Amino acid sequence: MADSINNIIQISGLRKVFSDGTKTVTALDGISLEVRQGEIFGIIGLSGAGKSTLVRCINLLETPTEGSVIVDGKDMASLNEADLLEARRKIGMIFQGFNLLQQRSALENVCFPLEIAGVKKEDAKVRAASLLETVGLGDRLDAYPSQLSGGMQQRVAIARALANEPKVLLCDEATSALDPKTTLQILELLQKINKEFGVTIVVITHEMKVIERICSRVAILAESRVVESGEVSEVFRHPKTSAAKQLIFPQGEKIETFRGGKRLLRLAFDGTTTDQPIVANMVLSCGEAVSILAADTKLIEGKTVGQMVLQLPENESAAERMLAYLDQENISYTEGE
Amino acid sequence: MMDTKLLTLVGSGFAESLYMTFFATLFSYVIGLPIGLILAITSPEGIKPSREINFGLGAVVNFLRSVPFIILAVAIIPLTRLVTGTSIGSTAAIVPLVVAAAPLVARSVESSVKGVDSGVIEAARSMGATTWQIIKKVMLPEALPSLITGLASATITVLGFSAMAGAFGGGGLGAIAINYGYYRGQSDIMYVMVILLVLMVQIIQKIGDRMSVRVDKTIRESGSAAPEDNNTEH
Ligand SMILES: Nc1ncnc2c1ncn2[C@@H]1O[C@H](COP(=O)(O)OP(=O)(O)OP(=O)(O)O)[C@@H](O)[C@H]1O
Ligand SMILES: [Mg+2]
Repeated sequence: MADSINNIIQISGLRKVFSDGTKTVTALDGISLEVRQGEIFGIIGLSGAGKSTLVRCINLLETPTEGSVIVDGKDMASLNEADLLEARRKIGMIFQGFNLLQQRSALENVCFPLEIAGVKKEDAKVRAASLLETVGLGDRLDAYPSQLSGGMQQRVAIARALANEPKVLLCDEATSALDPKTTLQILELLQKINKEFGVTIVVITHEMKVIERICSRVAILAESRVVESGEVSEVFRHPKTSAAKQLIFPQGEKIETFRGGKRLLRLAFDGTTTDQPIVANMVLSCGEAVSILAADTKLIEGKTVGQMVLQLPENESAAERMLAYLDQENISYTEGE
Repeated sequence: MMDTKLLTLVGSGFAESLYMTFFATLFSYVIGLPIGLILAITSPEGIKPSREINFGLGAVVNFLRSVPFIILAVAIIPLTRLVTGTSIGSTAAIVPLVVAAAPLVARSVESSVKGVDSGVIEAARSMGATTWQIIKKVMLPEALPSLITGLASATITVLGFSAMAGAFGGGGLGAIAINYGYYRGQSDIMYVMVILLVLMVQIIQKIGDRMSVRVDKTIRESGSAAPEDNNTEH
């Protein structure tokens, strides 16, 4: 693992408990993870897993109940008010709902964080205009949010988040309100910002495709805990927990219901073999048919990886031959009852 | 007796009504606007929640709101004397008008400010804005259209109160309506006053609505609706 010096965000033993007098909700329960300088880190989880709470603890919009959050060497919870505000200026954040000031134009929206930081008006305008140029909105400086599409509004929000040259950009479901095509454009923009400005990006999402598209490492959040984390390709190829499997292979649950007592096989492709007709070859060499119950392959960092669920034939020896064939071909699989 | 005498009567009544309404509304905002802001930011979902302040201030506001204006005006005559040196006349009427209208203004401002999208405030917090910056640069500007609508309503309410104040020496159109129409039985004069009051209300409402729409950047002529986002990266 990388030494902690390269970690721009270091979260240890983070707990967040909400209580409203009568009942308490533990939104985060012992979260530890690190985000490396310059990477795009993904946090994925189902609704209510605690993703938003986690990302809000990073810039201390939410005060942790326990544990520490260190961003760029600063222990966020220990900062005084003035230092915390200063630290927040170096952590950009974008949201699912864009959260632009409705009564300000695009240019004025991007000027906003600069005004907050005390930058002179004229300088702020120049910088804001160049940022809007960067996000592809150089011709819409005077448009108001109500005149812009969702994708454009998110671009303005990205420009605004970058205004004070943050080291970290937090994205809470930044593409969840956008259509697939616009989502892709925004993800490309985030990637470009990551490369060109060296901004570390933390992406919170419930969508696999977002993680696959731009993240290098991922943490899977389920029921207030990190259940798996690591390289995206590694985690997605060999999901260990049911939470991970559910996210990565959402049809999995449904498949289990019509297995009818026969043996199920979950194949994992690691990118080296998918271009070969594995299943067809297996069927041919074993002389027995299989049913493909579900198949889902994806492109991750340029490698095709994916999973497939097969129903093994009732013929025991044919089934064994198939397993042997897979072993021989180095295809990893897990067998379900 | 009509014509010139009536005209000067109406003229001075009109001027007195405007005078009372303008200054009473102004001072109601001087007091009510900060209270409304404090109520909004100290509410449980506000940016500086404080149960004590919110509850205490809210109780005072609710109490004053629940006292009928006429009773309030009589009850605070000592205060009115203290502030203006008298208890009759248009200037004296401004004191009870402010005491009655400031709590209404506070609630109206509170509700306008609470109408600002919490996500926008969250975004400002994430950028390191101070509480004061959030109030000045986010809450008030974002709530402006709604604040203007509220201002029109508050002005109309104060105008109505001021007509009531006329019943006990406050002057203005209300006083004329009562004195001539009721006490002297000249109902035609009373109707003229009522029509004038109705016209004033209509005009204030119209101006308020116009201004609210004019400043509101979320209302755009349909011709410039958001085009499709077909931007591509280079
Ligand atoms: N301010 C709050 N007060 C009380 N409970 C809260 C608060 N914020 C979040 N929670 C609870 O904490 C849990 C995690 O919420 P959180 O918003 O972090 O989930 P999420 O993973 O972002 O979900 P989603 O995908 O729906 O946005 C939920 O049970 C939620 O009800
Ligand atoms: Mg969320």
